[in-house]
Amino acid sequence: MNAPHISTASSHIPRRTFLRGLGITLGLPMLECMTPVFARASQSPTPKRMLVIANNLGVLPKNFFPATTGRDYALSPYLEMLAEVRNEFSVFSGLSHPGVIGGHSTDNCFLTSARGAFKAGFRNSISLDQYAAEKLGQVTRFPTLNLGVNIEKANRSLSWTRDGVLLPAEDSATALFNRMFVQGSADEVKKQLLRLKQRGSILDTLNTEAGRFSRTLGSTDKARLDQYLTSVREVEQRLQVASEWEQRPKPVATQPAPTDINDSKLFFEKFDLMLSIAQLAFESDSTRIVTLMVDAFRTPVFALPGQMDTTESYHGLSHHGQNEEKVKQLEAADRQHMALLRKLIGNLAAKREADQRLLDRTMVLYGSNLGDANIHDNTNLPILLAGGGLQNGQHLAFKRDNNKPLSNLFVTMLQNMGIETDTFGSNAGTLNELNPA
Amino acid sequence: MKAYFHSFAVLLLTTLPALHAAEKPPQPIATLIEQNCTDCHDAETKKGRLDLTALTFDLADPKGMERWVQVFDRVENGDMPPKSEHMKPEDRKALLAALESSLQAASTVATAQNGRGPMRRLNRIEFEQNLRDLLALPHLDVRDMLPADRESHHFDKVASTLDISHVQLTAYLDAVETALRQAVVTSPAPPASKKTRVVGKQLGPHRTTGGVESLFYARDGKGFDLDSKNWAEPKETGPDPNIEFALFRSPGWPYAVYPYVIANATGEYRVRFSARSVLQTEGFLLQKGTRPVPMNFRARKPTNHDIAEDVRVTGGIIDVQPEGGVYETTVYLLAGQTIEYGMLGLPVPQIDAQGKTGHYRYPPLPEGGQPGIAFQWLEMEGPIAPASWPPASHRVLFDDLGADAKSAKPAEDAKRLLRRFIALAAREPVPEEAIPPFEKLVLDALQNGAPLAEALLAGYQAFLCSDLFLYLREPIATDDHFAIANRLSHFLSDSRPDAALAILASQKKLRDPATLRTETDRLISSSGFERFVNHFTDCWLNLRELRRDDPDIRLYPEYRLDDYLVESMGMETRAFFTAMLRDNLPAASLIKSEFALVNDRLARHYGLPEVTGSALRRVDLSKNSPYGGLITQGSVLKVSANGTSTSPVLRGVWIMDRLIGQHPPPPPPGVPAVEPDIRGAKTIRELIAQHTKSKTCATCHAKFDPVGLALENFDILGAWRTRYRGTSDGERITGIDRAGHDFAFTLAGKVDASGQLADGRPFANIHDLKALFADNPRQLARNLLHQFTLYATGTPVQFSDRPDIEAMLDACAEDGYRVRDLVHALVQSPIFLGNPKP
Repeated sequence: MNAPHISTASSHIPRRTFLRGLGITLGLPMLECMTPVFARASQSPTPKRMLVIANNLGVLPKNFFPATTGRDYALSPYLEMLAEVRNEFSVFSGLSHPGVIGGHSTDNCFLTSARGAFKAGFRNSISLDQYAAEKLGQVTRFPTLNLGVNIEKANRSLSWTRDGVLLPAEDSATALFNRMFVQGSADEVKKQLLRLKQRGSILDTLNTEAGRFSRTLGSTDKARLDQYLTSVREVEQRLQVASEWEQRPKPVATQPAPTDINDSKLFFEKFDLMLSIAQLAFESDSTRIVTLMVDAFRTPVFALPGQMDTTESYHGLSHHGQNEEKVKQLEAADRQHMALLRKLIGNLAAKREADQRLLDRTMVLYGSNLGDANIHDNTNLPILLAGGGLQNGQHLAFKRDNNKPLSNLFVTMLQNMGIETDTFGSNAGTLNELNPA
Repeated sequence: MKAYFHSFAVLLLTTLPALHAAEKPPQPIATLIEQNCTDCHDAETKKGRLDLTALTFDLADPKGMERWVQVFDRVENGDMPPKSEHMKPEDRKALLAALESSLQAASTVATAQNGRGPMRRLNRIEFEQNLRDLLALPHLDVRDMLPADRESHHFDKVASTLDISHVQLTAYLDAVETALRQAVVTSPAPPASKKTRVVGKQLGPHRTTGGVESLFYARDGKGFDLDSKNWAEPKETGPDPNIEFALFRSPGWPYAVYPYVIANATGEYRVRFSARSVLQTEGFLLQKGTRPVPMNFRARKPTNHDIAEDVRVTGGIIDVQPEGGVYETTVYLLAGQTIEYGMLGLPVPQIDAQGKTGHYRYPPLPEGGQPGIAFQWLEMEGPIAPASWPPASHRVLFDDLGADAKSAKPAEDAKRLLRRFIALAAREPVPEEAIPPFEKLVLDALQNGAPLAEALLAGYQAFLCSDLFLYLREPIATDDHFAIANRLSHFLSDSRPDAALAILASQKKLRDPATLRTETDRLISSSGFERFVNHFTDCWLNLRELRRDDPDIRLYPEYRLDDYLVESMGMETRAFFTAMLRDNLPAASLIKSEFALVNDRLARHYGLPEVTGSALRRVDLSKNSPYGGLITQGSVLKVSANGTSTSPVLRGVWIMDRLIGQHPPPPPPGVPAVEPDIRGAKTIRELIAQHTKSKTCATCHAKFDPVGLALENFDILGAWRTRYRGTSDGERITGIDRAGHDFAFTLAGKVDASGQLADGRPFANIHDLKALFADNPRQLARNLLHQFTLYATGTPVQFSDRPDIEAMLDACAEDGYRVRDLVHALVQSPIFLGNPKP
């Protein structure tokens, strides 16, 4: 792939410039994005992608986890639904984020592994997708896409900045489709470029001005101001890249624009729609990294395909207390998750890119922050990873009473994306037994 | 380590060496803890995952502070040790005294060092209101362009969680651009106003949904239905002024019922119409109504019912009287929108898959007839021209330059207008040294050939997205009157100070208690106070989620699609809370009051004597009414249930957390997860009993489960019940619901609302519980002060604030802790006014 080349004269912001005017010296990490991004893009010839799906109420564990381990493990009742593609994925047991406890609030930490989510003064850390995007640089029109289904955008997200600031998810399929595929006229492109340029000047002004005339600031104020400045700088950078992309034609969509589904009752239809948006994004190489939070916690009474609506909200069902009727409905819902996953894996396997299947270049991680929602258990998380050209078809089992860090798997995924690192979050090693021999 | 904490730690490390060095608690704390606590809380047992032998006494670290405050609180309120006899009273007293003085000292130092809290970003509600007020655009709608703000302690006003990322900043830039574009006019004259009058068949649609009874035209009180061949269409070619349009249903998909009027341009329109309330009797006959029927208008595009789009209520509720008359209101419409009729509280027929016709079944007409409204004519006129042209919004930007914003001396005007705008926009004087970056931006744009207006707009956009505009800060000096003004206006009106308040700030009069009191009173009486009431109750009582759960139609068919009821419940609570402040009611009105504020629908819902009309009015309650007070209002009981069932656990937590201010701790992570097995559990009470069998659970659950149990007499929407409903067991009840569908549910087990509070005081029912809670008005007032402090200052009550809070309570005690008095006390306190450095 030919990496586009842009002038980086102004997008490369010296650290001093960025801290100028603050008169403070903070222990800021040296951000990767301060080095010219496109230079790094050229280092990775084969595009590698990842899609992370988190269902924040998880699935019924006893139906999910296989009883036996290794390559020839016996499929569990749920995984039986994925029998046809059993060699395309691996399933994991005995994984969790160490110290990440606090019931439902942990979904925000699923990709960050930050501890203490329910405590006052908690601050999140950078999420896997943002970390990967930082390392990869912007090689596609969108560095990442952060999607959601029924998501409470203000308070829940899989994506978090380095400062632990929530990046809100997008839940409109139509808007996402338009951003990816709808090409403006030459005149519109020209106007947009002008607008981006004007906005660049405005950001220059903000960068110069910020904080210069605030009165004596306490240290907490300085931290707030620093966060503001970081945002200014990041918007500035994105503008540079956006101008470059604005001049390149958008890919042609292979299907008509979708219609948004607004009824949160149609939970699975929405989920399916978002998965198809993720697929489109990968097929068109609009992005390499997609996260999708399926906010079951926030889902009211919902429709079960081919059945009556559930008798109560998803969250209500998840605290089933072994009530048969509730367990039955949950099972039906869980199976629908598996069916959608089966469809996704099949679709990605059917698509080709150059000499490979799209699936071989795309890792799909499906999991949850809850091992057992009934009792708010944040250990023994259900985790499944498909594609990516990894040694799949295994059940990798770790101790149920002494879990391995889920971040071990994250590091393996980062490495699979071509990112040279052996640390992320709370990892202690890797799961490189997945790597091809 | 992230920059945020890093800087914090470095600073404290350098300024507070003494405290930082204190790794072990000082005496007598260390010994008292060893004697009383470390049997359970040591490295070995580590109950509740708390090892007090390892917990460093580093109060300079906010996390350390937090932990030790928790220790203090749990010992103080008697939670710890679990058996109170395990600690000698004199030990408890000594431990608390020593801890308190350490915590107090550390918290005071931290506050002196950094202020009570950091500067706070405007949330999107405040940001939008600031722009509306600044730009004189009262209908500006940019809120949804901005990402929803994160919440903590239920509020989106908390400084430490109002973060900013590139996503937010981009959204602010976009929203400001949109707002500025709306403020600018380009035409030399306002859009022409037009008057449209419709009669006859122009008053509504020419096909019906929801069954023939839903809507039809009538002449001489006799209806003819447009869908049915049995009814002849009118022969007249032109509109027939003798025809009435009669409507007997409320909106609900599918629905598209509006008169043939349309807005040519975005703006306000005057709507006048003639109508009467009627009763529909068998044979599509119209009789004179017996009571008013409420309605409103909904702005929407004149499309069919299948188009998903925004529908917005505008112009308020109108009660149409049986005597008939001409009604008038003003609506706000976007270009291309029309006004849809919204009847309130009438049936909402739905497609009936089981019905023989496969279409709609209108519910059976009630005895005496089905209420509805018949319209005779309607006029819409507008857009109403602004008082001057160019409008005020344009003049904020370009002063007297006129609609085309042309100037003979562009550079000179640019400099002047930029300074003028910044002075208008900033909430405090901006020093001349801050202007150059903005001026450079404007002048560079001019240099590059941009028209004056465009160049200026770039500068304005930059200023409105700068930290100078986006953030509010703590008052930091004794003469910091602007920070006080900003805090007061963002507290009581969610917006920037108005002209009067700004003048007082510039005259440095806001530290004068009498002036501050007058201003507080003025804001409470002002129209902007409604924004405070809405936003505060949205957060505090979670009213923003009032529509979250649709009532389960299997168990509660009578609530099906009853938007009017839910709407009325929200209005009730907001009006009641407004009264608490404006009428200075005692804090105990959270729990009980001798009156309720109800309209026709609520009176029916609460089983009170009938009242007519949609307006809320004060109704005195009888001694044995379970209603009165926030705690038993429908809205509170709805948001604390889930649409299907009530959970004493969730309701109990909700009430204790939000109304009483005793926040249940999160489920302790150290407790092994007990898997509840509730198979065969028949009633909620049994479920709870099983739930609390485990002693570990019971310690906490005893604090809220009983409170929820006392509310079991209130169903999912707060109506009184004595028996639970079910789907199979019990006495069977059948009928046809508001949507025209058959329903069947059963009346099952009896409700038992008795129990005992954690301290052992028993109650038989809600009356007893109310008496128990109302018995401690100081705690209710304390909770209100905590909530107000958070909303007003963006920072929760700190340990060092506690003596101030208690002093305020002391001052308000004699008069029975009245709510407006509490607000005054807070506004006059150092918590609100800041701790200025000398």
